[in-house]
Formats: sequence, structure tokens, C-alpha cells
Amino acid sequence: MTNAPPSRKPKTAAKKTPAKSVKKHKPATVLIVGAGFAGLGTAIRLQQAGIKDMVILERAGEVGGTWRDNNYPGAACDIPSNLYSYSFDQNPDWSRSFSGSGEILGYIKAMVKRFGLEKYIRFNQNVSDLAFDEEPGLWHATTDSGEIFSGRAAVMAQGPLSNASFPDISGIEKYQGHKVHSAAWDHDYDFRGKKVGVIGTGASAIQIIPELVKDASKLTVFQRTPAWVVPRPDFDTPDWQKTLFRKVPASQSALRKGLYLAHESMALAVIWNSPMTRLAERLGRWHLKRQVKDRWLRRQLTPDYRIGCKRILVSNDYYPALQQSNCKLITWPISRMSENGILTAEGIEHQFDCIVFATGFDVGHSGTPFPVRGTGGRKLDEDWKRGAQAYKSINVAGYPNLFLTFGPNSGPGHNSALVYMESQIDYIVKGVKTILDKNLKALSVRGGAQDEYNSRIQKRLAKTNWNSGCKSWYLTEDGVNATMYPGFATQYARQMASLELKDYELIPA
Amino acid sequence: MAMIDLDKMLVKVKSTQWALSDIDWDAPGADLITEEQWPKLKEFMTDLMWIEHVGARAFAAMAKKAPTDTLREIYTYFHAEEQRHANVEMALMKRWGMLDGDELPEPNINLRLIIEWLDRHSDEVPVYVLGTVVPMLEIALDGALCKFLLDTVDDPVCHQAFEKINDDESRHLGVGFSVMEMQGHGATYIKTVEMAAQIANPRVILGIASYFPLLNKMRDNVVAMGLSEEKLYACMEKFEKIGGRTKEGRSNPWFQIIKFHSRWMVDRSNKFYHVPVDALVKATSYIPRKLLPAVPSWVRELTYEPTA
Repeated sequence: MTNAPPSRKPKTAAKKTPAKSVKKHKPATVLIVGAGFAGLGTAIRLQQAGIKDMVILERAGEVGGTWRDNNYPGAACDIPSNLYSYSFDQNPDWSRSFSGSGEILGYIKAMVKRFGLEKYIRFNQNVSDLAFDEEPGLWHATTDSGEIFSGRAAVMAQGPLSNASFPDISGIEKYQGHKVHSAAWDHDYDFRGKKVGVIGTGASAIQIIPELVKDASKLTVFQRTPAWVVPRPDFDTPDWQKTLFRKVPASQSALRKGLYLAHESMALAVIWNSPMTRLAERLGRWHLKRQVKDRWLRRQLTPDYRIGCKRILVSNDYYPALQQSNCKLITWPISRMSENGILTAEGIEHQFDCIVFATGFDVGHSGTPFPVRGTGGRKLDEDWKRGAQAYKSINVAGYPNLFLTFGPNSGPGHNSALVYMESQIDYIVKGVKTILDKNLKALSVRGGAQDEYNSRIQKRLAKTNWNSGCKSWYLTEDGVNATMYPGFATQYARQMASLELKDYELIPA
Repeated sequence: MAMIDLDKMLVKVKSTQWALSDIDWDAPGADLITEEQWPKLKEFMTDLMWIEHVGARAFAAMAKKAPTDTLREIYTYFHAEEQRHANVEMALMKRWGMLDGDELPEPNINLRLIIEWLDRHSDEVPVYVLGTVVPMLEIALDGALCKFLLDTVDDPVCHQAFEKINDDESRHLGVGFSVMEMQGHGATYIKTVEMAAQIANPRVILGIASYFPLLNKMRDNVVAMGLSEEKLYACMEKFEKIGGRTKEGRSNPWFQIIKFHSRWMVDRSNKFYHVPVDALVKATSYIPRKLLPAVPSWVRELTYEPTA
């Protein structure tokens, strides 16, 4: 059970403006790429640590990352809001136990105001290149507008995935009807009375489908692999709770702690194969049986892989939506797309006014969203060709003073992404303070430490449910898991709690 | 039959997909069905369509239990392809004016029992049991019936459709026999013990109790329609010939069992087999349909419409 899909713009939205002249800005202490949860959280903690000389580069015209881009109908978080928020900025006023994307975006915007982050953010600055200049020990970020921003340290907080992904279906370019991607919702399109197809039955799709079925005259859902779906304990927050949280903030912290521990216990079901895994599967099957009476439909919706191997979905209204009279689930393989719709292997052409692609994102297992160049001209996408690797998910050998958020093997399968993010942010603050306090030109993780860390991680990953045989976006084509962290959030927090200088090479300025 | 490369076969299957809309259902030739042919052909097409459809469901069960990802994907396609064949046959029936509005033609009682069995038990039956029975059904029923149809019907649209269907079926058989051979690898003694255990499995016993009368019933039906019994038996013998060509194929105990059964089946003088099985056919014909549970919803997935 993770959180929101990461923030990305679809390929079509990425327009490059040719640079006319280069405008170099005065180097800052810290350069942050991305003004989503990770970038803004880093800025807050740096500011609280007294480091206020920073620049945040944001490619869009507003903050919010994931929650700005993923605003399709029904978009919501599948982690309770009291846990999917920062511990250092808790919100007593969440309207629901699982908030929608609009409310989460509101929380992010309010955070920017509360901590006065506006002054750091440079909007509409899409980074096209990030390079380390060894001599002065500076990272230079070149943006599409032709400006160069520099910093002694750089934080990549652009989200772990790079682009909205369209499926590899033959003839996709032939389709003449309207196309919408879940990560770039077309709010101007009127779905009322339309014949709509949805490709995908993942985390976004199961939120979109119950909304679309209300408007579309006919909704056809194309499923390749059924997911495990468990009930969502969603409810409106009672007023007394909001009052209590406002008057006694410790009560909210206590709830947060309780939620955290409850999610931690789910690691036993999700990450490793244990009796808890069987229990979780039983819960999923019970949920399906309770909501779907038809035996064949239930069979079509029953996953054939171990729970936890792919992302677990939470929904109370997905199965009922599929059984509406205007909705149909198609599990036949898709053969190709035509001018009018989708042809499936049972020989039928399903014709649509609009097709919604709820097909997720291009996962950057090995690539980077823009070229990142380290010492000696090395390139991160080349170094990661055989699967991304980092030391403690945050630093990469050969890329001094560069910190990753949601780097390789930092993904949570069972707990809030923001819990992991807080650990990363605090580590970044430690790293930046080390650079400043020791006046370093470069704080560079040693290759040996990185290799040793990764061999440990991969050994542990081999025993997890993610590596138990199903195909998922957690794995590269070669089956390498460069995405998930094989352990409890508490373990992750413990490994991030200290910055071991022995694992780094320190080059004085 | 030499073992085939299943990965290459999957690529081939994916690249040879076709749709109902590839056929011009309004092309001339529908009137070539004679008045005399019409009522028999209607019954024949109904049986054929249902056989394809139950074949589809069997592939669905095999996909669930397939030992490799490639085979799982292949069976998933075959499931869809059999459904496509049933859709095409329904579209032919529509073209020939054999459908009463949108109503689905009724399956005969033996097919109805097979549908019931497949729906309730097939997912629990080991893949190698279905993996041997399905090629037999495909070669005997599908093969014989399709050949008979093409020999009898002159409508060019029917020929065009069955050319495509037969291409698919040859791939199904290729994979079917290859999988039977794969299952023949290894110690025969262990396989025989495993098979013996399965024969004691009530699910398999029920399946056999539905399968035996189905074959005899279909024999009666095709004979009534004018297909010579020998042609049906010749197709069944092909199963023995192809399946037993290699040592691996012959080592598959399920192949041996099906082979012996087909020998009994084609030997009309074998009273020990035919008297009780024909009695079963007769007995099943008395089963009131009202006593059977509602048809499973996958049955209603059939359509003659090329577009949805």
C-alpha cells in the first residue's frame, strides 16, 4: 500500500523552448529540483536548520508535484491523511480519513505560505541538464529558458518517475477519438453520455472508474492483470476530532503514531511471505466475494500472484462500479487499436468516443529525467544502465554533493511515502551541514560503500514478495528491483539517522 | 510432432490476430444454403459454436495453471481465440437467418453438463489433464465438424471464416501436442501414480462422466446430419497418431488413457463401453433443464456483432 503516483507531465506536455541567451545566476548553497512534497519538505527542514540560501526550480507554474498533476476525478491518497503529511506540519483539519487530491494540494500550498517558501521558488524552470563542476565544487542546472542556476549541493526532488506512460499497443497512433491520460486529465472534456474505454486497472484506474461510470453512457474497462484490492476505511472526519486535534496537538501525534505502527505491521504481509500474507490475501478475497456475487466476474478479478508482489489497491467503490449496468470488464488480450477503438483477441472491435489511459508512468529504473553529469564526465543514466544504484538510496558515487529523494530502493510498499521522505530530508540536511561546517568542495560517497550497501539490499530483496515472480513496475526488464526498500520504515529511518563520514570522501574547498 | 518453441509461437499468435470485422458479413453467398440443409445446419452450427465455447473455457482454466508465463499467455490468447471462433460461428448463423433475434441458441444437454462441469471444476483440475483432453476434443470434434461443414456448405463467407479459424486451430494443436510431450518427460512411474491419484479425484470422475456421453452424443448428432461416422473416427485416430509419434508423447499416461478411450469409442462392437455410455446419453436427455443451475455469465459473452 503506497501513496500517490509520482508527479509527472505527459510526454506531449513537455515542450522545449530553444534558449536564446544564457543567464547565469549567483550560486546558492542548495539547489532543489522540484517543488512537490519532497522539494518543499527539504526546503522547510533546511530553513529550520538555518540554511536559507537556496533555490527551488519548478517546471510548472505552481507547486504540488504529484498532487498538482494527478487531479483526475476521484484522485485520492491511499494512505490515511494523518500519516500522509509531514510530522513537522500536521493538519488538524483533514476532512476525510483518506483525502482527495484537491485537499492534499491545498495542504501543500498552505505549507508554502506558512513557511514562507515562495521566495525560493523559480517557476517555469524546466531543468534540462544538471552537471557538477569539479573545480569550484558547484552543481549547475541549465533550464529550458536558457538560465543556469548553481548550488554547492543539489537535491533531485523531481519525483521518482519521469513521464506518463502510454501502453505499447500496436496502432495506438491510428485512434481518432479523444485520448486522456490519468496524469494529465482533460477537465474540459465532457464525459456525459459518451462511450468511454479505460485501459488499466491500477491505482489511478480504480479511482477513476467509479467516477466515470456515473457520467459515461457506456464504460468499458480493459484489464491485463487483476490487482489485490482491500477495503478502504474511509470516513468523514467528525468535527469533535478536528477540535481535539487543534486543542491537543499531542492527540493527533498519538493517532499518527498509531497509524504508523499499524502500517509497519503490514510489512509482514506485504514485504515478506508470512502467515500475515495469507491473512491479507484472505481479506482481499473476502472483500471481492462480499462485493461481487457473479462467479465468473470474481474469477476475472482474482489475482494469481502473491499479495504484495505488486502494489495493493484500496477501494470500496471499484468492484461495485464494475457491476453497474453501463460498465463492462474486458479481460481479453488487446490485439491492436483502430481508428474507432480497441480490437481484442475475441475478435470484437470496441468503439469509443474517448479512451482513458490509466497506464501509469515510465519508471526510471535506469534512466534519469534529464542528463545528470558527475565527476570526470560520467553520466548517471550510463552508470545506471544495468539498474539504478545508490548509497542508502540518497547518494551516488561520482556525483558529489548530490542528494536524491526517492532514489533507488527507497520505495515503501506498506507505509506512507512521506515517512520515508522525512528520513531522506533529514539526511540531506545533515549532508549539507557537513559540507558547510567542514567547508567542503565535495562530499562524495565511496564506491565501495555503495557497492557493499547494494549487495546487502539485493540479498534482502531476493527474499521479498516483490521478487516472487510477478511482473511489476518495481522490477527492471532483467528482474532487478531498483525501486523498493526491503524492510520496515523504522529500519529505513534508522539507516538514515546517521551520516557515516567513513563512507565518504571529503575534499576541502 | 517435434517440440515447438513456445516463445516464438507466442509471437506468432500475437502477430496473427484477426477480428470479425475483417470479414464482410453482407457479401453475397448466404443464399447458397439450401432449404434442405437449413434446419440440420442450424443444429450443427449450434453444437459447433458451443464446442468452441467450452473449448474456450477449458483454455481459461489451463491459463490459470500453466507452468510458465509464456504458456499462460498463449492459453490466454487461445481462450480468446476459441471465443472468437464461437462469435464467428454465431455471426454465420445470423447471416443464414438462424438466430431468433438476439437470443443465444440453446446448447444440447450434454454440452450443458460440460459447461456446468467446466464452470465448477475445471480451474481445480491439473493442467496436464485438460492439456490432453483438449487436443482430443479439438482434433476430433472441432476438426471433424469443420471439415464436414466445408465439404457441405458453399457459402464463400463460410469458407473465408473457416480458413482463418483453421489457421488458429493448427496453432492450438501444435501447442497442445507439444505440451503433451513436455508432460511425458521424466519418470513414467511417478506420472502414472500421479495420474492414478487424479482418476480418484471426484472432480475428474465427474468430468469423465460428462465427457464420455458428450462424445457419443456428438457422434450421434453428426451421423444424423450426414457425416460419415468413419470420418469422425479418422480424426480421432489422428490424435493417437500425432500424440504417439514421440517417446515423450507416449510416456504421457494421460495420452495413453485418452488413446484407449478413443479406441473404445471408435469400436462400435465394444458393447462394454457403448451400452452404458449410450444409456448415459439417453439418461441425460431426461434431465429437466429447470433442475440445472443458471448458465454461468461467461456463456453470455458470445456475440455475433463485430463491434461493441
